[in-house]
Amino acid sequence: MKHLSDQELMRIVQAGDFSPASEIYDRYSSRIYNFAYRFLKNSEAAEDATQEVFVKMLKHANQFHGDAKLSTWLFSITANWCRDYLRKADNKTKEAEDVLVTLPAPAELSPERTLEKRENERRIQKALTALTPEQREAILLSRFQGLSYAEIAQISGCSEGAVKTRVFRAMETLKKALGGEASGGERCLNAIS
Amino acid sequence: MSECDFMRENMPLLLTESLDPARRELTHQHIERCAACSDEWAGYRETWQFLGALPEVEPPAALKTRFLASFGGNVEPIRLPKRSHKRWLAQAAAVVLVASGAFYAGHRSKPIELKEQPASLNSYSIAESRVLPARLVSPNIEGRPDIENVSFVDSNPSDPDIGLSFDITSHVTVTGRPTDKSMVRLLRYVLENKNRAASPSRSRAIDWVRTLYSRPENAEPEIAEALANVLRNDSHEGVRIKAVETLNRMPGGASADTRGALIEALKSDPNPAVRIKAVEALANLARSGATFDSATLDTLRQKAVQGDENVYVRVKAAEALSSIHP
Repeated sequence: MKHLSDQELMRIVQAGDFSPASEIYDRYSSRIYNFAYRFLKNSEAAEDATQEVFVKMLKHANQFHGDAKLSTWLFSITANWCRDYLRKADNKTKEAEDVLVTLPAPAELSPERTLEKRENERRIQKALTALTPEQREAILLSRFQGLSYAEIAQISGCSEGAVKTRVFRAMETLKKALGGEASGGERCLNAIS
Repeated sequence: MSECDFMRENMPLLLTESLDPARRELTHQHIERCAACSDEWAGYRETWQFLGALPEVEPPAALKTRFLASFGGNVEPIRLPKRSHKRWLAQAAAVVLVASGAFYAGHRSKPIELKEQPASLNSYSIAESRVLPARLVSPNIEGRPDIENVSFVDSNPSDPDIGLSFDITSHVTVTGRPTDKSMVRLLRYVLENKNRAASPSRSRAIDWVRTLYSRPENAEPEIAEALANVLRNDSHEGVRIKAVETLNRMPGGASADTRGALIEALKSDPNPAVRIKAVEALANLARSGATFDSATLDTLRQKAVQGDENVYVRVKAAEALSSIHP
């Protein structure tokens, strides 16, 4: 099963046999979960998103025509799920509730280093929160998932030009927010506080 | 829009290496001669790099069980299309032959280049699975192709050829000797591009590299360089540990670059397990008679007496110092 390409696995699923589900999950669950987790800032919602994305993949397998990469299709489903989640008014208050709670402290790091890493993570996550959902989606897919602008445009349902603008605006905001941190200086995060 | 505004809008594209060569060159030229844009560019690069401090989070293991249970857990054996194995093989071979024939017809004199193709342009079927000899793949990998699901094939140990399979809009297997330049470059790409290949892929690549390139007949300085870069740059400590273990087994002694990476890891890797492996590798080099420069010796001395360092690291640093030939 491991030697089959994504398209081959999906072809089997499309024939009604779900046995490749586990292999596909192993290939993409980490990326899907990380994207949803950073986008929604909520581990519980990220878990729900991950599960539902893979369930939808099985249910709607026939909508995958092999003219895009499987990763692009899965990220499209994930991004839709996340956007819907944020649209629901009740969920907005749940944002940012547990960004660091579920992260285990690496036992081998010194307490200072652990603290520093967590502080960096907190600052980056806070800076990401300052972005609009569209900008956050674009930067997460570009910087953290390594997708091309064409793929992001397909996922976000917009033009490549719009993706370019979103990434540019996002980088402008992040640069202002994290500039001091990135260069090791003392500038604080007033820009996003 | 001023020239500077235009160039600044290009900067994120420059970071993702998404600009076409002409615009890339123009933007770089502008950055070189415009101090304000040069500062802007430095800011972009620093921010982009700093974002890498955001760690990857593993989904809870129970989530997979939950997912599998959600469709009843009825994982049935794969039902292959109803045709005999022989017939299937014959058809697969035919597909490869037809594809190869078409490929050779179009590319007889020019080696192909591994480029990312826009996924939306090419509709392809499951049958599009290509096998390419390494000699026909350009060793110069252009752009940053997004390769996924990397796996390694060595089905016949008596045959010196190996295979490297991956998805890049279609499923490709490149076959050839471990020392073929294209094979080396592909492996190097998988090892070094942490943003393009997931850590399990990099980890498996290192396992494979260790098996293949620790044989003296396959000694490849480029692979050692790639491992040194993994040790320097990879965010995943498990991958860095494997890199240093593999460097420790590379034949032909360590180059200055490899030694430099080991010293940097010993000095500043945040993970003690990586530092332990690095000092072990340096101690091995010392035992084998390698000569160390004064900066390396200073680092070893410093580590041997550093009070807050891991005890094993200190002992191994002292052992390395005592093994060094005067």
